[in-house]
Amino acid sequence: MNTVRRLTGHLARGIAMIWVVTTISFVIIRNIPGDPVMGQYEKLIEQGMAPDQAERATAALYGFLPTGSLWDQYVGYLNGLIHLDLGQSLSTPGAGVATIIGSAAKWTILPVLGGTLLSFLLGVTMGVYAAIKRSGKLGDVLSISGSLLHGVPQYVIGLLVTAIFTTLWPILPAGGPVDIEYVPGFNAGYLVSLVQHATLPVLTYALASYGGWILAMKSSVATVLGDDFILAAELRGLKRGVLFRYIARNAILPLFTILALSLGMLFGGAIFIETIFNYPGLGLLLVNSIGARDYALMGGTFLVITVAVVAANIAADLMYAVIDPRVRSGGAA
Amino acid sequence: MTESFAPGVRVRDLTVVYRTPAGELPALAGVGLTLAPGTITGIVGESGSGKSTLALSLLNAVQPPGRIKAGSVDIDGLGDVVQLGGDELRRARGRQVGYVFQAAQNSLNPLKTVGKQLLDLGRSHDVADLPALVGEARALLGRMGLDGGRVLDSYQHELSGGMRQRVGIMLALVLNAHLVVLDEPTTALDMITQATILRIVKEVHRERGLTTLIVTHDIGVAAEVTDCLAVMYGGRVVEHGPTTAVLGSPRHPYTRGLIRAIPRLSGDIDEARALPGRPPTLGTIPAEGCVFRERCPLRMAVCDTVDPAPAAYGERTVACHAVGQPVAPAVRKEYV
Repeated sequence: MNTVRRLTGHLARGIAMIWVVTTISFVIIRNIPGDPVMGQYEKLIEQGMAPDQAERATAALYGFLPTGSLWDQYVGYLNGLIHLDLGQSLSTPGAGVATIIGSAAKWTILPVLGGTLLSFLLGVTMGVYAAIKRSGKLGDVLSISGSLLHGVPQYVIGLLVTAIFTTLWPILPAGGPVDIEYVPGFNAGYLVSLVQHATLPVLTYALASYGGWILAMKSSVATVLGDDFILAAELRGLKRGVLFRYIARNAILPLFTILALSLGMLFGGAIFIETIFNYPGLGLLLVNSIGARDYALMGGTFLVITVAVVAANIAADLMYAVIDPRVRSGGAA
Repeated sequence: MTESFAPGVRVRDLTVVYRTPAGELPALAGVGLTLAPGTITGIVGESGSGKSTLALSLLNAVQPPGRIKAGSVDIDGLGDVVQLGGDELRRARGRQVGYVFQAAQNSLNPLKTVGKQLLDLGRSHDVADLPALVGEARALLGRMGLDGGRVLDSYQHELSGGMRQRVGIMLALVLNAHLVVLDEPTTALDMITQATILRIVKEVHRERGLTTLIVTHDIGVAAEVTDCLAVMYGGRVVEHGPTTAVLGSPRHPYTRGLIRAIPRLSGDIDEARALPGRPPTLGTIPAEGCVFRERCPLRMAVCDTVDPAPAAYGERTVACHAVGQPVAPAVRKEYV
């Protein structure tokens, strides 16, 4: 009952948020100097097309009408969205925006998820050690490595990693998603090439966020270590492993919120990394669509990124309810 | 399963120091204390007198930056706890010595039900028959007036202070420990719950044949439940003996001062007289001489240089140069 109500609330809020973002992006695209929609419409008329035909062609291209009141266009645009119709791409004639985004998304989702989860697991584990050994050498080393990595911007790490592994010690390919000589499918050559190309982007994602996890987990564990129930558990003679789980599970709670936010943020952060590695994901797609003034594609990409952030937030909140009974029952802690 | 007897405890010359930027400072200075088997002993004293440090020493659990520097804590059936370490020490905690925390402290993992934490406890101590352990826990909770099944299914935030304290007592006893240390068991509980907890402590103590140590700053609590009473000041046990004797005719000037400071329900509030001065902190404990001399009405020349050793007076030990000495008439009028 409680869970259902919570889920409904989240969904309602998420949809409201997505609606706000789509509205803003609609208004922006309609008000960009030079009005690309009207420009296209006028271009078609100049090419000798009849006005009503030009109108239909433009509507198909952008997902909304070039003429009529702003309100009518807006309703038409939302109607298209509800039917998952994001319009046609300008820079890739004949391809629907939804199709283009769909094929780009897989190149972003897997590396981002892999990199984030890898750095989360590593950073959280190391953070526990950094906190437990905080008065020793190991703790110092871990904390300093965390601070350093946390301070270096993603694109710098990306460039460093590229320089090291493709030039100084050339063992990995510098860019692209996969070597073209292999036929896509389940064959060894293709899969190996896929993994080789994904290694550097994933490594960059992981290194860029690893420092933050160490620092956050370290301070969280240090707080939990001071809690009375840890001493109490120790005085009851609980085994080390049990004690470790008590500490880790309590300390990890606040990090789930950060995890969700950073998953969302990484879709934006992917812009740098995908550009550096020429990786055909959503970030690179967004950059290219801006360069090509492909407004339909831009709007679609914004929408997908928004949905990703909102969905990540909802997932985090639901996960929080699973692991923290105080949230689940809705009572005061 | 385990031998059931109430162990005796002998603390000898226990010195605990805390490492600070100003060097190692003593929290306990050569403390000696004997808990007779089957008795309830109380430790009273002000904050910083070392009573909690002494209680933790019984499990060799003084927290860093503190450490036991010298002395021994000899427990029947366990040996010298100070010499225990590693897995041996871990097994003694919980199984032979139970520790109950202050009610206001959250001594339970907030993310797990009481029952799951009970199972963690059982597995940590290699209990083969976990269902029997759960049954024992349920019976203990029932004995303390709680619905055992419901409590085991509850999280900490679903329990009241008095219920948490009973869960703490259950967890300390469920592995059949016969030495129980209760650190401020009634602090931060309301008066009714305090009385209930004290009654439970007394009854469970008798029924299970325990040796119990209660740390408290509340002399009323000590008077209510204890057989013997140790009064601590500045990291020393200054007076120790049967509770009725210590409270009825205190001999150490600090104990007298403490008792005179209690306001009576009947009578003039002005009759209660606070002890002048302040208790020493770790940093201000004098290096030599009696720790209480700055606040003492019986101060003599010898008190400045010699730390008085505990001396036996009948059933009681008192650490004071002035006790047993003829008191000067001028002081007697003012003090007695």
